[in-house]
Amino acid sequence: MTDAVSGATDLEDFRSSVESWLDENHSKLAPAYQGSGTLEQQMSHLATVKRLVYDAGFMRCGWPERVGGFGGSSLMRAYLGEALTARDLVEPGLYSMTEVLAPTMIDYATPELAATMVPALLRGDETWCQGFSEPGTGSNLASLSCRADRAGEGWRVSGQKVWTSLAQYAQRCVLLTRTGTPESAHKGITALFVDMDAPGITVRPIQAMHGVEEFSEVFFEDVAVPLARTLGQVNGGWAVAMDLLPYERSTSLWHRGAYLHRRLQDLVTTAPVGALDPVKLGEVTQLLYAFVARSRATQHRMANNERLGPETSIDKVLLATAEQAIFDLAAETLTPELTVSDDPESERWRTAYLYARAATIYGGSAEIQRNIIARRLLDLGNDR
Amino acid sequence: MDGEDIELFARSIRNATREHTGQALDAALAEVGWCDALTFAPRAAIATLFECQGADNVTSSALCHVVQHALGVDDTPAARVVLPPIGQWHPPATVTHRGLHVNGLVPAALRHRASVVVIAPTGRSDGVFEVPTTSLAFDRVDGIDPHCGLLQVAGADIDPATDRGPTADGWAAAVALARVAIAHELVGASRTMLELAREHALGRIQFGRPISSFQAIRHRLAETLVAIEMAEATLDLAWLDMTEQTAAMAKAVAGRQARTTARHCQQVLAGIGFTTEHPLHLYIRRTLLLDGLFGTAASLTRALGEEIMSIGQLPRKLVL
Repeated sequence: MTDAVSGATDLEDFRSSVESWLDENHSKLAPAYQGSGTLEQQMSHLATVKRLVYDAGFMRCGWPERVGGFGGSSLMRAYLGEALTARDLVEPGLYSMTEVLAPTMIDYATPELAATMVPALLRGDETWCQGFSEPGTGSNLASLSCRADRAGEGWRVSGQKVWTSLAQYAQRCVLLTRTGTPESAHKGITALFVDMDAPGITVRPIQAMHGVEEFSEVFFEDVAVPLARTLGQVNGGWAVAMDLLPYERSTSLWHRGAYLHRRLQDLVTTAPVGALDPVKLGEVTQLLYAFVARSRATQHRMANNERLGPETSIDKVLLATAEQAIFDLAAETLTPELTVSDDPESERWRTAYLYARAATIYGGSAEIQRNIIARRLLDLGNDR
Repeated sequence: MDGEDIELFARSIRNATREHTGQALDAALAEVGWCDALTFAPRAAIATLFECQGADNVTSSALCHVVQHALGVDDTPAARVVLPPIGQWHPPATVTHRGLHVNGLVPAALRHRASVVVIAPTGRSDGVFEVPTTSLAFDRVDGIDPHCGLLQVAGADIDPATDRGPTADGWAAAVALARVAIAHELVGASRTMLELAREHALGRIQFGRPISSFQAIRHRLAETLVAIEMAEATLDLAWLDMTEQTAAMAKAVAGRQARTTARHCQQVLAGIGFTTEHPLHLYIRRTLLLDGLFGTAASLTRALGEEIMSIGQLPRKLVL
């Protein structure tokens, strides 16, 4: 830990410490690959970056001391991810998994478990995944059926998950299981923290449209999980899930905003003369800046310990709208790159365009976000 | 102002816009000290009044005060500055060798002043001129929004009463602040439209259930809230730095989103929202007018894109 970091409770100090450290260490932090690289390359590079940033102390800022952090405002976490993303040092989707899963562990794991596990995630020693969706359980999360039954001193888990991002790299999984009757819906769900090398777990990666095996099917066959790995209350897993979801729409979205800013600036810089439509460029810029302004307010609410809830669905809708609009414009502007060129930069535009198609699908589809907004924010009552 | 003062101030503004419009609202605002608030707490003063004004579909001369405040020419308690013609944002006057040429809009109250103030480009800066009201022609604006309380004002070859020299902060700063004020008014109008549609959806029964239970209706209303929150977020952005660029963005987004709001809410309100027996049409009319004042969403969006392309840089990145 450097002296610069120990006093950095203030965001301004933190900002300048991070920036000068990133300047000095650029050669160590920059990826060796061109364009997007493969997922394999991205993951191994991410571990390198996290380790360097952790050893410099920055990765520990904004996390509670009881999980190896230095305490202080969560704005520092938002800023660190922004700085790494804006300099193209990490892929924001992979980097921000920490922001979704670590807070859940801190809130719901036993203090001993959180203190043991979270540092390994922050340091880049481990990758974690999130086992929520199932083949029969997409938007209707409360219908999940992957079972956990009490057996001896622990749980026995059997069932299947799908869309589990990075499962093939993960050492641990935050897993939602059915512990009540099949009809118990959201009242019979328990969250467990599962070792991915436990006997009985099989991972089958799925190749997504953008060519990346980002997510997997995960099969559980009578997998033993110790009782101490229960997150929150038995049959209280719905609360764990509901508290986790707003984290998917807070710090990680701020990081994504930094990424989109960089990509839109790249588009402005590289577009051939006359190829960009000024009206569309103006509108896309407005969408991006509105989303970023919205997300900024959310970062500040989180830093003030306000409870995040359904209003973060608006952040998600604005992100998805901005992201798709940016890459739609890129596709219209860089036609040869998108369609026929195979150099690394063209490949990167193409991957980003294809990945953006999922922005209205993952993390609660656009329709689910609108359902939440209608019921929880507009108070329109029941939908049947 | 601290939190409690702002709440008290906001309450008196809300009461004023609920009960008064036009010159009566001007008088009520003078009573609650809105112009003083504009000087020492501009954000609270502008955001509160213009949102209430939009929400209650009322008018005042406050936009002139905002422009005068930004220009640094608010040395008289009365609103007197001429606004640009609809769709435009250049100064409403020009200087020719035969005198001043004026073409703009004013709130109806300005007709009763002895003189008005116009801004005209003079060489490198913008000049401030006092023009006797007698040398100008005033015409009531009916147009799409007959309750807008505006007059067209025009005059040619005028010998101004006084040339007060260049403005303190320039016309561009006045345009920026006016745009932010109008954006707040559009957000206020949008929030009322959404509330009208929401109430209707909850109360209107078809097929034996409130139409608010149908997903088509729910998603339209959700879309509307997203549109309004997007405009609100862009206003936050504008207040954070108050550059010409972010103020223009706030105005453009608020204008576009108010039109989106009007479209969704009219569809939800359906038949009744198409009649003059329901207030929705007043808000739709006002939205179109406000979108035109100081530049439409369409023209500002194009200007933003052209500016980015000409300098090759996005606007300054928002700081956490």
